[in-house]
Amino acid sequence: MEAFGRIVKMYMKTAYSVALGYVGNVEDARDLSQDAFIAVYRARKSFDVSKPFFPWFYTILRNICLNFIKSRRKLKVLSEDVLEFRSDDYETPGGYASYSERAGIIWEALFKLSPEHREIVVLGDLSGFSYKEIARMLDLPEGTVMSRLYYARNRLYELLEGFDF
Amino acid sequence: MSCPRSEIDPLRYLDGVMSPGEREEFQRHLESCEDCTRTVQRFEELGRITRRVKMRDPTDEFWQTYWKSLYRRMERRVAWIFILIGTVIFSVYAIYEMIRSFGVLTLEKVAAAFILIGVLLLLVSVVRERCHQYKVDRYKDVKR
Repeated sequence: MEAFGRIVKMYMKTAYSVALGYVGNVEDARDLSQDAFIAVYRARKSFDVSKPFFPWFYTILRNICLNFIKSRRKLKVLSEDVLEFRSDDYETPGGYASYSERAGIIWEALFKLSPEHREIVVLGDLSGFSYKEIARMLDLPEGTVMSRLYYARNRLYELLEGFDF
Repeated sequence: MSCPRSEIDPLRYLDGVMSPGEREEFQRHLESCEDCTRTVQRFEELGRITRRVKMRDPTDEFWQTYWKSLYRRMERRVAWIFILIGTVIFSVYAIYEMIRSFGVLTLEKVAAAFILIGVLLLLVSVVRERCHQYKVDRYKDVKR
Protein backbone atom coordinates (compact mmCIF):
# COMPACT_ATOMS: atom_id res chain seq x y z
CA MET A 1 0.00 0.00 0.00
CA GLU A 2 2.94 2.32 0.68
CA ALA A 3 4.29 1.83 -2.86
CA PHE A 4 0.80 2.43 -4.22
CA GLY A 5 0.60 5.68 -2.23
CA ARG A 6 3.88 6.79 -3.80
CA ILE A 7 2.56 6.03 -7.29
CA VAL A 8 -0.63 7.99 -6.59
CA LYS A 9 1.35 11.00 -5.34
CA MET A 10 3.65 10.81 -8.36
CA TYR A 11 0.91 10.64 -11.00
CA MET A 12 -2.18 12.22 -9.42
CA LYS A 13 -1.65 15.65 -10.99
CA THR A 14 -1.17 14.24 -14.49
CA ALA A 15 -4.08 11.83 -14.06
CA TYR A 16 -6.36 14.63 -12.91
CA SER A 17 -5.35 16.91 -15.83
CA VAL A 18 -5.88 14.13 -18.37
CA ALA A 19 -9.31 13.30 -16.94
CA LEU A 20 -10.23 16.98 -16.87
CA GLY A 21 -9.33 17.19 -20.55
CA TYR A 22 -11.81 14.42 -21.24
CA VAL A 23 -14.74 15.35 -19.03
CA GLY A 24 -14.34 19.10 -18.42
CA ASN A 25 -15.63 19.01 -14.89
CA VAL A 26 -13.43 19.24 -11.79
CA GLU A 27 -15.43 16.85 -9.58
CA ASP A 28 -15.81 14.20 -12.30
CA ALA A 29 -12.11 14.51 -13.18
CA ARG A 30 -11.15 13.90 -9.54
CA ASP A 31 -13.47 10.89 -9.22
CA LEU A 32 -12.45 9.33 -12.55
CA SER A 33 -8.73 9.75 -11.94
CA GLN A 34 -9.25 8.10 -8.54
CA ASP A 35 -11.21 5.29 -10.25
CA ALA A 36 -8.19 4.74 -12.50
CA PHE A 37 -5.88 4.39 -9.49
CA ILE A 38 -8.31 1.94 -7.88
CA ALA A 39 -8.40 -0.07 -11.15
CA VAL A 40 -4.59 -0.04 -11.25
CA TYR A 41 -4.43 -1.32 -7.68
CA ARG A 42 -6.86 -4.12 -8.47
CA ALA A 43 -5.03 -5.07 -11.69
CA ARG A 44 -1.51 -4.67 -10.26
CA LYS A 45 -0.71 -8.36 -10.72
CA SER A 46 -1.33 -8.17 -14.46
CA PHE A 47 1.13 -5.29 -14.91
CA ASP A 48 4.27 -6.22 -16.84
CA VAL A 49 7.07 -4.67 -14.76
CA SER A 50 9.45 -4.70 -17.74
CA LYS A 51 7.26 -2.05 -19.41
CA PRO A 52 6.83 1.60 -18.41
CA PHE A 53 4.01 2.30 -16.00
CA PHE A 54 2.51 5.47 -17.44
CA PRO A 55 1.25 4.21 -20.85
CA TRP A 56 -0.47 1.30 -19.06
CA PHE A 57 -2.02 3.63 -16.53
CA TYR A 58 -3.01 6.08 -19.25
CA THR A 59 -4.89 3.38 -21.19
CA ILE A 60 -6.88 2.46 -18.07
CA LEU A 61 -7.63 6.11 -17.31
CA ARG A 62 -8.62 6.80 -20.91
CA ASN A 63 -11.03 3.86 -21.03
CA ILE A 64 -12.63 4.94 -17.77
CA CYS A 65 -13.10 8.49 -19.07
CA LEU A 66 -14.43 7.42 -22.47
CA ASN A 67 -16.87 4.99 -20.87
CA PHE A 68 -18.01 7.75 -18.56
CA ILE A 69 -18.58 10.16 -21.47
CA LYS A 70 -20.44 7.46 -23.37
CA SER A 71 -22.67 6.53 -20.43
CA ARG A 72 -23.91 10.06 -19.75
CA ARG A 73 -26.39 11.44 -22.21
CA LYS A 74 -25.53 15.10 -21.87
CA LEU A 75 -22.26 16.83 -21.15
CA LYS A 76 -22.26 17.97 -17.55
CA VAL A 77 -21.73 21.69 -17.04
CA LEU A 78 -18.12 22.55 -17.77
CA SER A 79 -16.18 23.80 -14.77
CA GLU A 80 -15.22 27.43 -15.07
CA ASP A 81 -11.74 28.89 -14.65
CA VAL A 82 -10.02 25.64 -15.55
CA LEU A 83 -7.76 27.17 -18.17
CA GLU A 84 -5.67 30.22 -17.46
CA PHE A 85 -3.30 32.37 -19.39
CA ARG A 86 0.31 32.03 -18.32
CA SER A 87 1.14 34.72 -15.75
CA ASP A 88 3.50 36.69 -18.00
CA ASP A 89 0.52 37.35 -20.28
CA TYR A 90 -1.32 39.48 -17.72
CA GLU A 91 1.24 42.22 -18.11
CA THR A 92 -0.32 43.19 -21.42
CA PRO A 93 -3.38 45.50 -21.36
CA GLY A 94 -6.75 43.85 -20.76
CA GLY A 95 -6.33 42.69 -17.18
CA TYR A 96 -7.08 39.41 -15.50
CA ALA A 97 -10.85 39.48 -16.03
CA SER A 98 -10.59 39.77 -19.79
CA TYR A 99 -8.03 36.94 -19.91
CA SER A 100 -10.21 34.73 -17.76
CA GLU A 101 -13.04 35.27 -20.24
CA ARG A 102 -10.81 34.43 -23.19
CA ALA A 103 -9.54 31.29 -21.46
CA GLY A 104 -13.19 30.31 -20.99
CA ILE A 105 -13.82 30.68 -24.73
CA ILE A 106 -10.89 28.36 -25.50
CA TRP A 107 -12.06 25.83 -22.91
CA GLU A 108 -15.59 25.79 -24.37
CA ALA A 109 -14.20 25.45 -27.91
CA LEU A 110 -12.16 22.43 -26.78
CA PHE A 111 -15.36 20.77 -25.63
CA LYS A 112 -16.95 21.23 -29.02
CA LEU A 113 -14.32 18.84 -30.40
CA SER A 114 -14.94 15.09 -30.36
CA PRO A 115 -13.32 13.28 -27.38
CA GLU A 116 -10.70 11.77 -29.75
CA HIS A 117 -9.75 15.18 -31.15
CA ARG A 118 -9.86 16.83 -27.75
CA GLU A 119 -7.55 14.27 -26.19
CA ILE A 120 -4.97 14.80 -28.91
CA VAL A 121 -5.05 18.61 -28.50
CA VAL A 122 -4.86 18.35 -24.71
CA LEU A 123 -1.94 15.93 -24.89
CA GLY A 124 -0.07 17.59 -27.75
CA ASP A 125 -0.79 21.29 -27.38
CA LEU A 126 -1.66 21.82 -23.73
CA SER A 127 0.40 19.13 -21.98
CA GLY A 128 3.36 19.18 -24.35
CA PHE A 129 3.72 15.43 -25.02
CA SER A 130 5.67 14.52 -28.17
CA TYR A 131 4.10 12.62 -31.11
CA LYS A 132 6.04 9.55 -30.04
CA GLU A 133 4.78 9.72 -26.46
CA ILE A 134 1.19 10.25 -27.57
CA ALA A 135 1.46 7.35 -30.02
CA ARG A 136 2.66 5.10 -27.19
CA MET A 137 -0.06 6.25 -24.82
CA LEU A 138 -2.89 5.86 -27.32
CA ASP A 139 -1.41 2.77 -28.95
CA LEU A 140 -1.57 4.39 -32.39
CA PRO A 141 0.98 4.79 -35.19
CA GLU A 142 2.73 8.18 -35.14
CA GLY A 143 1.24 8.99 -38.56
CA THR A 144 -2.28 8.57 -37.17
CA VAL A 145 -1.43 10.84 -34.24
CA MET A 146 -0.25 13.56 -36.63
CA SER A 147 -3.24 13.13 -38.93
CA ARG A 148 -5.64 13.32 -35.97
CA LEU A 149 -3.84 16.38 -34.66
CA TYR A 150 -4.15 18.01 -38.07
CA TYR A 151 -7.95 17.59 -38.13
CA ALA A 152 -8.28 18.55 -34.46
CA ARG A 153 -6.27 21.75 -34.90
CA ASN A 154 -8.19 22.66 -38.02
CA ARG A 155 -11.49 22.27 -36.21
CA LEU A 156 -10.26 24.21 -33.19
CA TYR A 157 -8.98 26.96 -35.46
CA GLU A 158 -12.42 27.24 -37.07
CA LEU A 159 -14.07 27.42 -33.65
CA LEU A 160 -11.75 30.17 -32.43
CA GLU A 161 -11.62 32.08 -35.67
CA GLY A 162 -13.09 35.55 -35.26
CA PHE A 163 -12.32 35.89 -31.54
CA ASP A 164 -9.72 38.45 -30.60
CA PHE A 165 -6.98 36.80 -28.56
CA MET B 1 -6.64 20.36 -50.09
CA SER B 2 -4.80 19.36 -53.20
CA CYS B 3 -1.19 19.26 -51.98
CA PRO B 4 -0.50 15.80 -50.51
CA ARG B 5 1.99 17.34 -48.07
CA SER B 6 -0.41 19.84 -46.53
CA GLU B 7 -1.58 17.50 -43.75
CA ILE B 8 1.49 16.17 -41.98
CA ASP B 9 4.40 18.36 -43.06
CA PRO B 10 3.09 21.71 -41.75
CA LEU B 11 2.63 20.04 -38.35
CA ARG B 12 6.13 18.57 -38.32
CA TYR B 13 7.53 21.89 -39.50
CA LEU B 14 5.82 23.94 -36.78
CA ASP B 15 6.39 21.40 -34.00
CA GLY B 16 10.11 21.29 -34.74
CA VAL B 17 10.42 17.59 -35.56
CA MET B 18 11.92 18.05 -39.05
CA SER B 19 15.64 17.62 -39.59
CA PRO B 20 17.50 20.78 -40.71
CA GLY B 21 17.62 19.39 -44.27
CA GLU B 22 13.89 18.58 -44.34
CA ARG B 23 13.10 21.98 -42.87
CA GLU B 24 15.08 23.79 -45.52
CA GLU B 25 13.45 21.77 -48.30
CA PHE B 26 9.96 22.40 -46.86
CA GLN B 27 10.63 26.14 -46.62
CA ARG B 28 11.40 26.09 -50.34
CA HIS B 29 8.19 24.11 -50.94
CA LEU B 30 6.20 26.73 -49.00
CA GLU B 31 7.26 29.41 -51.45
CA SER B 32 5.31 27.68 -54.20
CA CYS B 33 2.50 25.88 -52.33
CA GLU B 34 -0.58 27.82 -51.27
CA ASP B 35 -2.19 24.87 -49.43
CA CYS B 36 0.78 24.26 -47.16
CA THR B 37 1.31 27.99 -46.59
CA ARG B 38 -2.32 28.39 -45.56
CA THR B 39 -2.12 25.44 -43.14
CA VAL B 40 1.13 26.77 -41.63
CA GLN B 41 -0.46 30.20 -41.14
CA ARG B 42 -3.60 28.76 -39.53
CA PHE B 43 -1.65 26.52 -37.16
CA GLU B 44 0.83 29.26 -36.30
CA GLU B 45 -2.06 31.48 -35.31
CA LEU B 46 -3.66 28.69 -33.27
CA GLY B 47 -0.31 27.87 -31.64
CA ARG B 48 0.02 31.48 -30.52
CA ILE B 49 -3.22 30.99 -28.57
CA THR B 50 -2.73 27.47 -27.18
CA ARG B 51 0.86 28.13 -26.09
CA ARG B 52 -0.35 30.97 -23.90
CA VAL B 53 -2.82 28.93 -21.85
CA LYS B 54 -2.39 26.15 -19.34
CA MET B 55 -4.61 24.18 -17.00
CA ARG B 56 -4.94 25.91 -13.67
CA ASP B 57 -3.36 24.02 -10.75
CA PRO B 58 -5.94 23.10 -8.10
CA THR B 59 -5.32 24.35 -4.55
CA ASP B 60 -2.97 22.59 -2.11
CA GLU B 61 -6.02 21.59 -0.09
CA PHE B 62 -7.41 19.74 -3.13
CA TRP B 63 -4.26 17.62 -3.35
CA GLN B 64 -4.09 17.06 0.39
CA THR B 65 -7.57 15.55 0.38
CA TYR B 66 -7.03 13.66 -2.92
CA TRP B 67 -5.08 10.75 -1.43
CA LYS B 68 -7.21 10.62 1.72
CA SER B 69 -10.47 10.43 -0.23
CA LEU B 70 -8.99 7.82 -2.58
CA TYR B 71 -7.96 5.73 0.43
CA ARG B 72 -11.44 6.07 1.95
CA ARG B 73 -13.06 4.97 -1.31
CA MET B 74 -10.85 1.88 -1.41
CA GLU B 75 -11.74 1.13 2.20
CA ARG B 76 -15.45 1.42 1.39
CA ARG B 77 -15.07 -0.99 -1.50
CA VAL B 78 -13.66 -3.56 0.93
CA ALA B 79 -16.64 -2.93 3.22
CA TRP B 80 -19.06 -3.50 0.33
CA ILE B 81 -17.30 -6.76 -0.55
CA PHE B 82 -17.78 -7.98 3.04
CA ILE B 83 -21.47 -6.98 2.96
CA LEU B 84 -21.90 -8.77 -0.36
CA ILE B 85 -20.24 -11.94 0.90
CA GLY B 86 -22.43 -11.84 4.03
CA THR B 87 -25.57 -11.39 1.93
CA VAL B 88 -24.63 -14.30 -0.33
CA ILE B 89 -23.95 -16.57 2.65
CA PHE B 90 -27.24 -15.54 4.27
CA SER B 91 -29.17 -16.08 1.01
CA VAL B 92 -27.68 -19.52 0.45
CA TYR B 93 -28.51 -20.48 4.03
CA ALA B 94 -32.07 -19.15 3.63
CA ILE B 95 -32.57 -21.20 0.45
CA TYR B 96 -31.25 -24.26 2.23
CA GLU B 97 -33.66 -23.70 5.13
CA MET B 98 -36.58 -23.10 2.75
CA ILE B 99 -35.91 -26.33 0.91
CA ARG B 100 -35.39 -28.24 4.17
CA SER B 101 -38.69 -27.15 5.72
CA PHE B 102 -40.77 -26.71 2.57
CA GLY B 103 -44.42 -25.82 3.24
CA VAL B 104 -43.92 -24.03 6.59
CA LEU B 105 -44.26 -20.27 6.14
CA THR B 106 -42.25 -18.10 8.57
CA LEU B 107 -41.37 -14.39 8.63
CA GLU B 108 -37.70 -15.19 7.95
CA LYS B 109 -38.67 -17.12 4.82
CA VAL B 110 -40.84 -14.27 3.52
CA ALA B 111 -38.01 -11.76 4.11
CA ALA B 112 -35.49 -14.06 2.43
CA ALA B 113 -37.85 -14.58 -0.54
CA PHE B 114 -38.15 -10.79 -1.01
CA ILE B 115 -34.36 -10.38 -0.86
CA LEU B 116 -33.85 -13.20 -3.36
CA ILE B 117 -36.42 -11.81 -5.78
CA GLY B 118 -34.78 -8.35 -5.51
CA VAL B 119 -31.29 -9.76 -6.09
CA LEU B 120 -32.49 -11.79 -9.07
CA LEU B 121 -34.22 -8.76 -10.63
CA LEU B 122 -31.08 -6.67 -10.15
CA LEU B 123 -28.95 -9.41 -11.65
CA VAL B 124 -31.15 -9.75 -14.73
CA SER B 125 -31.23 -5.97 -15.18
CA VAL B 126 -27.44 -5.61 -14.88
CA VAL B 127 -26.76 -8.51 -17.25
CA ARG B 128 -29.20 -7.09 -19.81
CA GLU B 129 -27.62 -3.61 -19.55
CA ARG B 130 -24.10 -5.01 -19.90
CA CYS B 131 -25.12 -7.04 -22.97
CA HIS B 132 -26.64 -3.94 -24.55
CA GLN B 133 -23.55 -1.84 -23.70
CA TYR B 134 -21.24 -4.45 -25.16
CA LYS B 135 -23.19 -4.52 -28.43
CA VAL B 136 -22.94 -0.74 -28.92
CA ASP B 137 -19.51 -0.22 -27.29
CA ARG B 138 -17.22 1.60 -29.74
CA TYR B 139 -14.22 1.04 -27.47
CA LYS B 140 -14.62 -2.68 -26.78
CA ASP B 141 -11.52 -3.44 -28.84
CA VAL B 142 -9.36 -1.04 -26.83
CA LYS B 143 -7.03 -3.18 -24.76
CA ARG B 144 -6.17 -2.30 -21.17
